[in-house]
Amino acid sequence: MRSIISSILVLCLLTACSSASSSDAPSPGSGTGGSTARFTVSGNTLYTVSNTALQAYDISSSSDPKKGNKTILGFGVETIFPYQNNLFIGTQTGMYIYDINQPNAPKSVGIYTHILSCDPVVVQGNYAYVTLRSGTNCRNQSVTTNSLDVIDISNLANPKLLRSYPMTNPRGLGADSTLLFVGEGDYGLRVMDISDPTNVRELNYFYDTKTYDVIPAKKLLIVTGPKGIFEYSYADLKQLKLLSTIPVQP
Amino acid sequence: MNRLLPAFILLAICVFFDGCGRPYAPSPPTTGDIYRPVYASYADIRTVQTLAPQPLKNVGKIYIKDKYLFINDVGSGIHVMDNSDPEKPVQLAFIAILGNQELAIKDSILYADNVTDLVALNIANPLNVRLVKRIENAFEYSTYPIATNVRFECPDPNKGAVIRWEKAAIENPMCYR
Repeated sequence: MRSIISSILVLCLLTACSSASSSDAPSPGSGTGGSTARFTVSGNTLYTVSNTALQAYDISSSSDPKKGNKTILGFGVETIFPYQNNLFIGTQTGMYIYDINQPNAPKSVGIYTHILSCDPVVVQGNYAYVTLRSGTNCRNQSVTTNSLDVIDISNLANPKLLRSYPMTNPRGLGADSTLLFVGEGDYGLRVMDISDPTNVRELNYFYDTKTYDVIPAKKLLIVTGPKGIFEYSYADLKQLKLLSTIPVQP
Repeated sequence: MNRLLPAFILLAICVFFDGCGRPYAPSPPTTGDIYRPVYASYADIRTVQTLAPQPLKNVGKIYIKDKYLFINDVGSGIHVMDNSDPEKPVQLAFIAILGNQELAIKDSILYADNVTDLVALNIANPLNVRLVKRIENAFEYSTYPIATNVRFECPDPNKGAVIRWEKAAIENPMCYR
């Protein structure tokens, strides 16, 4: 009997759970991409992200890029956003912050983890803005969260969720000063006031402007969507003014 | 029988107490979208050309640099627009780059993915873009479409490079994710 009990104990131990486990930084000579970009230039370095890694290229001589170090990140890497001397990397499990003071040796400084979802990130001042989206292109079909998360990054080593705001189906986003533009895919475009990040307010919602990603710069908002490219002036915040359209040909 | 009983009890107890959630592989989906890879020959993918303006088809990433707006057309290249007057953007050219989805610019050099390669293109004259450097095998061979919970025809590297994935009606596709 004793042997049976001890075998039970051993077997139970054996089956025990295994606890497995656009930026403010002016980069002279570079341009501006959208929040869903997977290539970015910071200083004299081009960074690209694959599904699992961050790759650096030295472009001190811009016409002669040289392959640099590869940093393994994990999985589900989606977007990369440079801000000052840091890279903010959006993945399906969270936001990774890398210090790039040594451009060819990015150093992990902080991680903000969240539930599995799709999530580009942009940064403005002490805050990062991340959209979480459920949907068919995301890894985890059970995720039903759609939100805009504001994360306090005043301490890069310890990013903290400040507040989460419900959204419909958010994708790309872009910030300019006190404004945040959030593309809601087939559900339009939201213009948010972020002057108080603890109390982000919606200024306007344009349901008909189907938006995947945006680039706001100098009162000009460039929108990509399923129907093409749309350019708006946001000189008057109350009413975006459509300047031009470059339609997709059927 | 008497000898088997304790063993059976043992098994039952172990199964009962094993409350661990293990990541079992999901079973193959029987519904959902079906994709197939679109191939190009390895010789063709390494040709980058400046063409006359083309209509926008499948808008991807965008990038602004000085007065220019660059618009990726997923899998086929980059539209170059003169955006000096945002009320009247002018299409200047189309840079045909197979497999292209991403871009970034420093000075007058545009970096783009070209299937498995990274290319550096001099765009000082957008009407005559020149390839200045190609870093081969910078990216992995595409083995699956981006979407999940889909079925797809398994890619075959012998057929060429996968430049994009398209929806298709295929009987019993063997790959899924």
